[in-house]
Amino acid sequence: MSGSKTVALERQPNANTLLPPSRVRTIMKSSMDTGLITNEVLFLMTKCTEMFVQHLAREAHAKHGGGDTLKYEQLSQLVNKEKNLEFLLQIVPEKIRVYQFKEMLRLNRSRDGDDDDDDDDSGSGSESEE
Amino acid sequence: MVERIEDLNLPNTVIARLIKESLPESANVSKEARAAIARAASVFAIFVTSSSTALAHKQNHKTITAKDILQTLTELDFESFVPSLTQDLEAYRKMVKEKKESKANKKEASTNDNASATEAVLEEATE
Repeated sequence: MSGSKTVALERQPNANTLLPPSRVRTIMKSSMDTGLITNEVLFLMTKCTEMFVQHLAREAHAKHGGGDTLKYEQLSQLVNKEKNLEFLLQIVPEKIRVYQFKEMLRLNRSRDGDDDDDDDDSGSGSESEE
Repeated sequence: MVERIEDLNLPNTVIARLIKESLPESANVSKEARAAIARAASVFAIFVTSSSTALAHKQNHKTITAKDILQTLTELDFESFVPSLTQDLEAYRKMVKEKKESKANKKEASTNDNASATEAVLEEATE
């Protein structure tokens, strides 16, 4: 590795990992029915997790305002927008203000009477700031 | 198995380094953002693993292969990862092969060693 920081897009194929494979193995094993994990599979998972970290950071920074500090809000906005990050909606939720939360509760309560409310819409009341 | 939930965390320092590498040199990362990315990475690994396992099972295989993972990534809409990963995998396979060969060579050398020490030395010198 040379001293200069290269952009990950033009990177060289690399057989080394930065993340500890043993930890990645533990994570993989935590999923119930994972069978044997070959070294090759472990390498690939470690590598693609690294790529995912960089992908997330780069996209959040580039697409949501840039700035000199990567903030949580940039991440949650990205997760909210990108279809392939849907699995993170519960993991990186959008933060809401206390008054918004109270408003949500109030709306839910007032809608309790009719049966046809769907929970997907419950957050949309607070998104009209743009 | 997993005894503590912390066992699923990825090391902060490495995550911080990976993030830094992917941002402009001057950029900083808030603590909250770094923690969120670390959490997301663990979940990503679990997500890809279980999806790959499901794919392998569908083909009546018990264990996942590298191919299953690459195919899963495509199915999960991360096909942009596949070309780089394929190259990395090739590099990895080459490295493993070379390691094996050099080990085999060493073994051979050491058995020669017992037979005639001078010959082994000569052989090593010419290599």
